[in-house]
Amino acid sequence: MFELSTEACNIKELREGDYSAYDATYLGDYSCPDYPNSFTSNADQLADGLELVKSRGQKCYLRLYAVPSNHDLPWVEDLIDTAMGMPFDGFEVHNLGLLRMLKKKGSTIPVHLGVFGNLYTHETARTLKDYGVTRVCPNPELSLKEIAYIAENTPIDVLVPVHGKIPLVISETCFIVEHSEQGCSNPDEPCNYLCASEHWLKRGRNDGSRADWSLKDTGRMTLSGKDLCMVEHAATLVQMGFNAFYVQSKGEGKDYVGNVGKIYREALDKAFAGEAAADYTPQVAYLGALAREGLCNGYYFESAGQRYFGRT
Amino acid sequence: MAQLLAPGGSVEMACTAVDEGADIIYVGPLGFSRRPYESELTDAEIREVTEYTHAHGRETRVVLNTYPSPFEMDAFLAKAKAYADFGVSGFVVTDAGAIRALRKLIPDTFIHVSIGSGICNSHDADFYRSLGADVIILPYRWDVAEIAQTRHTSDIGLEVFLFETVQTGKICPGKCIMSSYLRFREWLDIEQKANFYGSANRGAKECYRVCQATWEFGTTDNPQPVEIKLRRDARLMLEQLPKFIDEGVTCFKLSGRERPVAMIRDLVRFYRKIMDSVLAGDRNLDRYADELAELRVRWVREKGKRLDNLMERANSYAA
Repeated sequence: MFELSTEACNIKELREGDYSAYDATYLGDYSCPDYPNSFTSNADQLADGLELVKSRGQKCYLRLYAVPSNHDLPWVEDLIDTAMGMPFDGFEVHNLGLLRMLKKKGSTIPVHLGVFGNLYTHETARTLKDYGVTRVCPNPELSLKEIAYIAENTPIDVLVPVHGKIPLVISETCFIVEHSEQGCSNPDEPCNYLCASEHWLKRGRNDGSRADWSLKDTGRMTLSGKDLCMVEHAATLVQMGFNAFYVQSKGEGKDYVGNVGKIYREALDKAFAGEAAADYTPQVAYLGALAREGLCNGYYFESAGQRYFGRT
Repeated sequence: MAQLLAPGGSVEMACTAVDEGADIIYVGPLGFSRRPYESELTDAEIREVTEYTHAHGRETRVVLNTYPSPFEMDAFLAKAKAYADFGVSGFVVTDAGAIRALRKLIPDTFIHVSIGSGICNSHDADFYRSLGADVIILPYRWDVAEIAQTRHTSDIGLEVFLFETVQTGKICPGKCIMSSYLRFREWLDIEQKANFYGSANRGAKECYRVCQATWEFGTTDNPQPVEIKLRRDARLMLEQLPKFIDEGVTCFKLSGRERPVAMIRDLVRFYRKIMDSVLAGDRNLDRYADELAELRVRWVREKGKRLDNLMERANSYAA
């Protein structure tokens, strides 16, 4: 009836997390090739990850690096060659050059366009379908009305993120390493994984002198400070015809993926069963407590991304 | 032959740039070119600029580099057709679907892939060539080796901005929506739009350049975070020009639609002189160093003024 998916960057996360609420898992970290044992940059990890996800009865998608430079292309191509011989249910591609590469290679594995693929229009969805794209994750700036229009006017699935921090920026260099004395300055040296500690960008001192802004930074990617939260709007999402939903969990505690997933599984099950919208106050309170900077609705309701709108 | 592209943030700026020797003027229509309305043109002004460029044997290209809403795609293409009928010779476009649609609608036009497309490797160039694009603007960090690699991969034309970017920091054109996450404003009447489209990527709602504001950066357990900007300023380019021309770069783009006309006048004059010199075989540009240094100071000063203005605007709008 619907698919709820999430992510696991490496085999450790996949083993330690509770993924029982999910129908599918995106393997890998598309933002950082140095993330420890990431499926995205370690072909030798793919078989174990794939086997574990499949043993849970879930679909398994492989994420490809989102911003490969020419320097990265050889190792990315090696990883693709390995993965093409494995029963992945899809490749997630953010870079259109890699999409072109997959087409030239004659890959028959379905392609999902990732969030940094900049899908804004139905025209682009139609264009990318010719390159083997079967699912798109629209740019977060789109409203629900725009996403619904794309879903209705293209023969492509649309993935709707429902919870977690919103990816805002991706860059080819690591901001944490660049600005830390402990970071490695030579790209050929092994990474010290300073991103294991949470890093935040803050602007504003609550004295009214400047805007009060907060963003989470993972080094190569900047995420929203607030967690996108759509649990109160599950029935709306179903009424609009969406059927593929996603929980972003990168960089969260190990219990996050399981607990958030169970809340959304229950809410979506009820919404698809046509049950009257429940009072989600306790769930929203719980999810708010998990979010250091609070909750937001992204751009779904036609506003700046960090605002939150209640159901009524 | 290498060509100099100059901004037309106003009719006066466009005509001045033509007078100073720009080969191509690029202009942005209201609501469709990622700049505040003050640096965009009405359709009548675009026609006026096009007539001026034609009268002087030059060309006009129209920047349609927003990611349009699905609801405005028809209007987007209708605008492009109208500008082609004015006689503009090409477009600067970001959205992949729009590029393909534009190529189909106006087969003989010239299509630049905008920096907002987020190109990061040679296969991207190949992708956009397959859609019908004629030229890509190269990523800020690229140097000669990557240009050569792209030349090997695709026959698409190559364009560079006339500034050089430091290698560190968050440099991510086409991969950033920070500004609209934090703030955006409603459309103004002059921008001729009433719908929600949310951000600089999507129209006249300006990017507040929050990456160039000062932030506090650190871990959650660090009581003394560092004050930092997310990226450093780019500098006007000079020494790379001969190498780029040798590698086949054909378009050199001067940014600055929002800069003062006098600044653009002097920059076009400077780079016209430099390009003519290089194209005549000159490879030693040392004698221009002092002039460049002075222009760099002016460039940074004007940029600082604009950033202050943008942050004031950001603070004035509701979250």
